[in-house]
Order: sequence, then C-alpha cells, then structure tokens
Amino acid sequence: MARAAAAALIPWLILVALWELASARGWMTTVLFPPPSSFIRFAIESDFRVGFGQEGMTIPVAILASAFRVVAGLFLGFIAAVATGILVSMSRAASAAVLPIVRGLAPIAPIAWIPVGIIVFGVGNPTAVFVVFTGVYFLLTLSTVAAVQSVDPRLVKTARTFGASRAQVWAWVIFPAVLPQVFTMLRINFFAAWMAVLAAEMVGLKNGVGMIVILGREMFNPNLIMLGICIIGVTGYAVDALLLFVQRQILWWKSVE
Amino acid sequence: MSSLQIRHVRKVWQGARGLTVEAIRDVSLQVSSGEFVAILGPSGCGKSTLLELCAGLEPASGGEILIGAERVTGPNPKAVMVFQEHSLFPWLDVEKNVAFGLQMRGTGLNERWRRGREVLERVKLVKFAKHYPHQLSGGMKQRVAIARALVGNPEFILMDEPFAALDFQTRVLMQQFLLEVWAGFKSTILFVTHHIDEAILLADRVVVMSSAPGRVLEEVQIDLPRPRSMTDPDFNGYRVRLTSHMEREVMRAAEVE
Repeated sequence: MARAAAAALIPWLILVALWELASARGWMTTVLFPPPSSFIRFAIESDFRVGFGQEGMTIPVAILASAFRVVAGLFLGFIAAVATGILVSMSRAASAAVLPIVRGLAPIAPIAWIPVGIIVFGVGNPTAVFVVFTGVYFLLTLSTVAAVQSVDPRLVKTARTFGASRAQVWAWVIFPAVLPQVFTMLRINFFAAWMAVLAAEMVGLKNGVGMIVILGREMFNPNLIMLGICIIGVTGYAVDALLLFVQRQILWWKSVE
Repeated sequence: MSSLQIRHVRKVWQGARGLTVEAIRDVSLQVSSGEFVAILGPSGCGKSTLLELCAGLEPASGGEILIGAERVTGPNPKAVMVFQEHSLFPWLDVEKNVAFGLQMRGTGLNERWRRGREVLERVKLVKFAKHYPHQLSGGMKQRVAIARALVGNPEFILMDEPFAALDFQTRVLMQQFLLEVWAGFKSTILFVTHHIDEAILLADRVVVMSSAPGRVLEEVQIDLPRPRSMTDPDFNGYRVRLTSHMEREVMRAAEVE
C-alpha cells in the first residue's frame, strides 16, 4: 500500500519539478501559470484564508464543506438507490411503473439539476447534496436492478433449502450480493458527482473549494486559481481513495464467481 | 427416521412464449432410511430437477413426493440440498455459512455457535472457522457446504453433482470424506452424478435415468463391500453394465437434438 502510494507520487514529483524548472527559466508565463512554489507560498502567507467579508473562508473549512457535500450525497444516493432497486425488483408491477421513469431521468447530467436544487432548497448545503444525489441515484437504481438479476441463482436456492423465507432471501442473500456491484458503479460515477458539486459551488453556493477558483477569477489572482485547481484535484483524489478503501475492505466479495 | 417416496412425479417447465419442456416423466422411486442412492444420467436428463422437487424448491407438475407420511410442499429442514461449487455465501465466513440455516430458523446466537463448532470439529474444519470462502480450496469449500447441510441434522441430504467441479485428486478425497460423514451422521443420501465410477464407488443403489424427459430406466443394487476399489473386477462388472446404459442414452439424447 505504502509502496504503491510512493510509486504514484513519483510522476507527480517529476511533473512539479518540470513545472518549477520551466517557470524558473522563463519558459512559462508565471503570471498566468504560477508554479506550486508560488501558490503554496501564497496560501501560507495569506494564512490559508481566501476572500473577504462575506465571501471569506479558510481553506480547510472549504475542503471539508465540499467533501462533506459529495460524501453525503453519495451516501444518501447509494442507500436510496439500493433500497429502490431492491423494492422495485420484488414486484413486476412496481418495475413496470417505476423503471421507465428512472431510465428517462438517468441520462440527465447532475449539473443540469443545479438550478432545480437552488429553486427548491435555496442556496446552501441541501442543494449541493441534492445535486450529487440526483447525479447518482437514478443510475445506481438501474444498476441495482441489473445486479439483482445477476445474483447467482444457486445462492438463492441454497438459502431457500436452508429454510429462508422470501423476505429472508432478499435481506440475507440478494441485498449483500448486490452491494459490491452497485458500489463499484458509485465509484465510477463519483467524478461526475464531484464536478457537479464544484459547479454548484461556483454558480450558486459561493463557498467550498469550487468557490476558491471563482474568487481567483474575480480578483484576477492566478495563484488563487491554481491553488483552487490543485485542492480540487487532491480532495477528489482523497474521496476516491476513501471509496476505494470501502470497496476493498468492506464490500470486497463478488456475488458471481 | 422416515423414508422418501417419489410417486409418479412429473415436471414440466413453462418457458417463454408458451413453450413447455417436459423435464421428468413419471418417475417413481423409494429411498429408505440410511440408504445411499446415486442417480445416474446424462446431462439434461432432469436429475437435478428431481432433487429440487424433493427439496421442495420447485412444485411437481404431477404425482407426489412424501417424506415419511408428509407430502413435500416447500423447503423442509428434513431434506436439504448441497449444490456444486460456489454455493457458499462469499460475504460470510465458514462459521456463519455453516450456521446459516439455523439463523434463518431463528436459533439463538450461542446455540448457533455451539452447533456450528460441533459440526466443524467433526469435519475437521475448526481451524478455518473464521476464513472466508475465497480463502479456501475447492475441496474445502465443499466440505463446508456439507457441514452446512449437516448442522441441522437433516434426515435426507440431496446432493446435486457436488464434486463435479473438482479435480480428480480432490474428488477422490471428497468421496472418501463423504462416506465417512455418511457413516458418522447416519443421514440418507440422494446423490446426483453423471460419473459412473463415482456412482458405483459411493452408492448402495444406482438409479439410471433416461435422457430427457427423464424416466427411471433401471435400478442397480451395488453389492460390493466397502471400502470399494475401482480396480476390483466386480467393480468393473457394474461399470460395464452401467456404461452400456449411459452410452445408449447419450446417443439417444444426441439424436433428439
């Protein structure tokens, strides 16, 4: 694990070194593309605070705000989608009634839900969580339905021969069997959800890491823009690593061998 | 201890677009308490279907199956099934897999643990109680599957080609193991296989089924002392007799296709 992390870091170190070299030699306009040494110094000198007055915030708080929004949205979307997918799969009538609607809503980009969220929930956390939620909920509901259909029938028969009732089969076999597959889909869709949160922060919420970039633009501060971009990348990477950890350590099994 | 009676059983599968497939036609069979009966037949002869009917996993289309004086109408703790490989729940450790049936029937945690340990001790798997299925070899997985069947003290164990996916060496060891278990637990075993040698090696009686729709062609009593050896000349006598039947049925099945 530690060795893999170190190996992943090396290309980044090389990239940063080239960037610094290009800036020092004057190959790149440092005014527009400040190197890490410049924007990190900027962050330290400004005491990890960005913006003024009402728009002022500290960088750690901004990171926590954005990470909280995306994790909360993913968590709620995952739970709701697994519940919906399983409940809908239990009845043909429910599938026929619900799935066409879900299928129609699934292709809508999460970003498109931002105005809807702002109208319904106003400017604040619920809107960001809502945008992430809608970004994953419909897709994951469909993938839960698909996962239910691909559960190994031998596992279901085994449970029934050992006395499991229909309800017990759903709770003790189908539910655990579909979790890993749906979670993999969650991870795949995380990036779209993350982008949606940032877009929501940029256009409406006026805080979080998305806002750092917008503040940089408004103040024409390239240091702030580059800093914001790097923080977005690192935070997104960290959340993805958290999801990967959950996938490997908690939901590691495969239902179909 | 009761006997298993299969009386004029018929099973027709309803396929898509009104297609029907007759899997079994008029099968009658009696298995007395403590007996080891092998059902031998070519692939697709309905022998697995017959077991599922006995286990109460599927309703018969005609005729009836009795355990003692009771008619089989659904899954029954007296007759449990053991499937081919991959029927262990991958998200449960060995101990929880073994106790699954007890849990489904509402047995308390302590009692589950105690009975699980008892069975694992008898099949020499205590050391692996906390292992997960993917950490076990194919043979060990099947030992766990057998332990899981034994834990509820069933009168009948219905085995559907349990060793078909194992390599030769493991299969030989598992056959040995099964005979020990059978002698120790005094369950009645109904064992489906398409392997002639396996049937002769294990069973008191071999029931030969025809290709689809499945019917009973012949019942052969195996009068060989145990432990049996495949190199015994008498063994070969049975082999010749059963092979000629199987060959004819395989050819017949091929012609139908």
